[in-house]
Amino acid sequence: MPKSRSAGAALAVPAWAWLLLFFVAPVAMVIWFSFGYKPGIFGTHANDILSFDRYVEAMSPTFFATFTNTLWVGIIGTVLCFLIGAPVAYWMAFKVKPQRRGILIALVLVPFWTNFLVRTIGWQVILAPEGWLSTLLQGVGVLDGPLELLYTRTAVIIGVVYNYLPLMILPLFVAFDRVGPALREASKDLGAGKLTTFFRVTLPLSQPGIIAGVLLVFIPLMGDYITATVLGGAKGNMVGQLVASQFQTAQNWALGSAMAVLLMLTIMVTILVAAIIIWLVALPFRTRNRLVLGSGTDKTDRPDKTDAASPSAPVEVTT
Amino acid sequence: MTASRTPLRILAPEASAPVIMRELSRRRFLSLAALAGGATLLAACSPGGSSAPAPGATGGDLENSLSVYTWGDYDSPEVVSSFTSELGPKVTLDSYSSNEELIAKLIAAKGTSGYDIVVPTGVFIPQMIENGLLTPFNKDLLPNLSNMDPAYLGRAWDPNNDYSVCKAAGTTGFVYDKTVISRELKTWDDFFDAAQNEASGRTSMLDDPAGIIGAYFWARDEDWNTTDEAELDACRQFLVEQIAPHISAFDSYPGTNSIPQGTHVLMQSWNGDARLGMLESSDPDRWQWVLPGPLTELWMDNWAIAAGAPHPEAAHAFINYSMAPESLYLNLDYIGYNVGGKGLLEQAEAEGMEMTDLIFFDEAQISTMREQELNESQSTRVEIWNEMKAAAGA
Amino acid sequence: MTPPETVTETETLLNARSREMAASSAPTKSAPRRRAPMTWSDIAFRVWGIAVMVFLFLPIIVIVIYSFNTGRLLVAWDGFGFDAFLTILEKPAIQNAVRVSLITATISAVIATVLGTLAGIAMARYPGKWVWWFLGLLLLVSVTPEIVDAVALLPFLVFLGQDLGIGMFNDGIVRLSVGSSLFATAVVSYIVRARLVGQDANLEEASADLYAKPFTTFRRVTLALAMPAVLAGFLLAFTLSLDNTIVAAFVQVSGTTPWPVYVLSAVRSGLRPEIAAVSTVMLLLTLVALALVALVLKRAGDSATEIARTMTGG
Repeated sequence: MPKSRSAGAALAVPAWAWLLLFFVAPVAMVIWFSFGYKPGIFGTHANDILSFDRYVEAMSPTFFATFTNTLWVGIIGTVLCFLIGAPVAYWMAFKVKPQRRGILIALVLVPFWTNFLVRTIGWQVILAPEGWLSTLLQGVGVLDGPLELLYTRTAVIIGVVYNYLPLMILPLFVAFDRVGPALREASKDLGAGKLTTFFRVTLPLSQPGIIAGVLLVFIPLMGDYITATVLGGAKGNMVGQLVASQFQTAQNWALGSAMAVLLMLTIMVTILVAAIIIWLVALPFRTRNRLVLGSGTDKTDRPDKTDAASPSAPVEVTT
Repeated sequence: MTASRTPLRILAPEASAPVIMRELSRRRFLSLAALAGGATLLAACSPGGSSAPAPGATGGDLENSLSVYTWGDYDSPEVVSSFTSELGPKVTLDSYSSNEELIAKLIAAKGTSGYDIVVPTGVFIPQMIENGLLTPFNKDLLPNLSNMDPAYLGRAWDPNNDYSVCKAAGTTGFVYDKTVISRELKTWDDFFDAAQNEASGRTSMLDDPAGIIGAYFWARDEDWNTTDEAELDACRQFLVEQIAPHISAFDSYPGTNSIPQGTHVLMQSWNGDARLGMLESSDPDRWQWVLPGPLTELWMDNWAIAAGAPHPEAAHAFINYSMAPESLYLNLDYIGYNVGGKGLLEQAEAEGMEMTDLIFFDEAQISTMREQELNESQSTRVEIWNEMKAAAGA
Repeated sequence: MTPPETVTETETLLNARSREMAASSAPTKSAPRRRAPMTWSDIAFRVWGIAVMVFLFLPIIVIVIYSFNTGRLLVAWDGFGFDAFLTILEKPAIQNAVRVSLITATISAVIATVLGTLAGIAMARYPGKWVWWFLGLLLLVSVTPEIVDAVALLPFLVFLGQDLGIGMFNDGIVRLSVGSSLFATAVVSYIVRARLVGQDANLEEASADLYAKPFTTFRRVTLALAMPAVLAGFLLAFTLSLDNTIVAAFVQVSGTTPWPVYVLSAVRSGLRPEIAAVSTVMLLLTLVALALVALVLKRAGDSATEIARTMTGG
């Protein structure tokens, strides 16, 4: 049905237009700046002389050292967000009564309607070495001395995981929820245990949502820097701060733009590499699945109420 | 856009919302809410300020409103409200968190920003004047200039106060925990020494290249605005290799979190911020403030009027009003920094203000304070600062 | 209830499904409680879920407690009192900031949800080569650091507003909404697409076979299927826009300082307990609003709970 297909694709036009106008046009400008230079003490950018010099300047050891630190925080933060958030999303999607789900979704988000700096300061108060938690833990005997979490790598991770958890829970919830109880029940009826059902049915079907959640956490995390420094101090040095410092303190928009472009490229490369690794790792599993579920099914009596993958389609859903 | 809209609906107060909902069906409520939302949007889309070039102030009638673009929570609410009740113009306060942000906005707006008064830090004023971002004062409208302490007028960035006048002045020093560091620290060398020894891993420095690099040069009694490559390189060596590994945080406001919570032992800080922290700490005697030698900094936030200000008369009136003796004292009390007025020390002591030695400095101390100058070395300084942060975070 | 002739077959299917679910869970409401025995995994999930909820609310509880601090600094507890709440009334700057933030976040969330839902549905239901380009665009939007966005958007909006004379772009609320809606649109698109992609278009086909116009199919089937994602996306977009700081700081105009910009800017002078008090008030208002919504849905009767169930994917 080509007519409705192009009409359907037209649905995306408003979003295209909006983003092109307010995002691509301005950002193209910034990329243009990156080929310029900083004209004198008081100027921010000039483009009469174009060169790649700013990119050479941007690829300094400081940048790479800071990027490595950021990547470490980004990966660990995302993985922890997933490990902590996935069970919650699963619980909300499958174990909680349908009437309660709406409230739970809202409750997950309510803490995040408090300003992020205020939330993080809340954590500062909790983790203070002379605060109530520290005193409590020392009194109970869990700690020998004051709580030494603030201004450490651990504090960075706590702050970062805390601030990005809903961005992981919500897409995961939507993904798990899409799977629906029908297929899982069918799987259990066919004798699969809980874990098997999870890994062979639920997880593959919710794959797009998982990817959405991971990307929605990892990418902004790589660009974030304020949360990390409030709790982690110097250990929370992130590459986003480097970029911001060029735009702000140095008033060198040309160099800042070059660093930003470099950062964006490195993030995209990282995601590509991760995608390839995961694809390679999942390869043996994928072939196994295809064998088991794609053969021997009769294609005549399809239940008419399936809203997920039908037996004739491969189980893994491509994104 | 507004012509064909439905007439404004009045939003009901929250208390009557359930009543309304009981009487309407859910769908009608939703459509009503949408209309109310649209009405809110209309109400919020108030007509923008005129983009005609602002006339210079000539002492005419005051306009109805005034827009002040300043640091957050940096003005005594009493001064602001009494200005409105005595003189008329309604004051709108907007906030920014860095000078560079202010400059970027004014440059981009090309005179149409809609802000009247801005509060730049002194070091950026030459840049703003050169870029035509500020309007000169009409000094006839500022008779209260005579209330200002001459020591805080006529600084390097604006020798005749044509464009700016002191709003708040401060300096950079450090605070240490006497229970951990038992010896007396007096100079910047002592600071660096303690940072590498007793306070290692529990030291914080300002999150600003000026303060960090300044400390190195102040310790050596050298000009901290130097553009000499060799000197800056030596500075880089020292800071990145010797000091950075011992720094646990770069925090420009230790007074508002580290001192009350006792998370650090040695903190470079501004005087007002340190004073606030020590006053609010549960154990003030534990902390010792030091105005270190041989040199340190004098920085100043200034009143200035933006180019293209739509309400120049009200702007002058507000600045003048803020320099009246009562306003000066109220602001001093509210923000905890010296506001540069005459006779404030005596008044403060009479009123029993605590720790006035962290606000007011005598001539000898002021003579050790140097102003910052923005020059070509800024890029190098930012590089050193970023390198230091990367080294500290490793 | 709609007369039987206008109820499409598809609607019957959906209704039948939800009635089935209602029937299967109804016994837990009216009949004497005979819950299925909880397995250890059920208990473990519940414990974990509640623990994470507590983790999420922990700093909020701390902030609520500290909003009763009578001291000068938010973090330094001095004594118990309501001073901070009273001070909010004396500071129009704070009231304005909160008002601006709430308005902008709502508008921005609406824009993002509408655009993102349409785009997500288009990507899932009508895929083609263009999808890769669009995903690339969304990726670009997500990957760009906020400061770049801010620095780029400011001169652009000034250009639109001043040089081109489109007066709308001189208004603070419009600018703030535009700035916050960009990343939020990407988020909603991802989520809606994730919800729908890979699902066979069986129900839409059935709807079309039963003579439903494309728009009706879209409204009654596709949108209904995507509803949990749309709602989740809306809430998430609202949350993200509320916290939008850097872009907001750069594009704001006189009279429209949003709340996060005010807070960040007030750090210089030492955060006062009013900041915590405002957060507490906002929290209370949010909880009240949620309770009201739940009440409205309940009052509207059984059909509403069914709709709510569909909305949350029951």
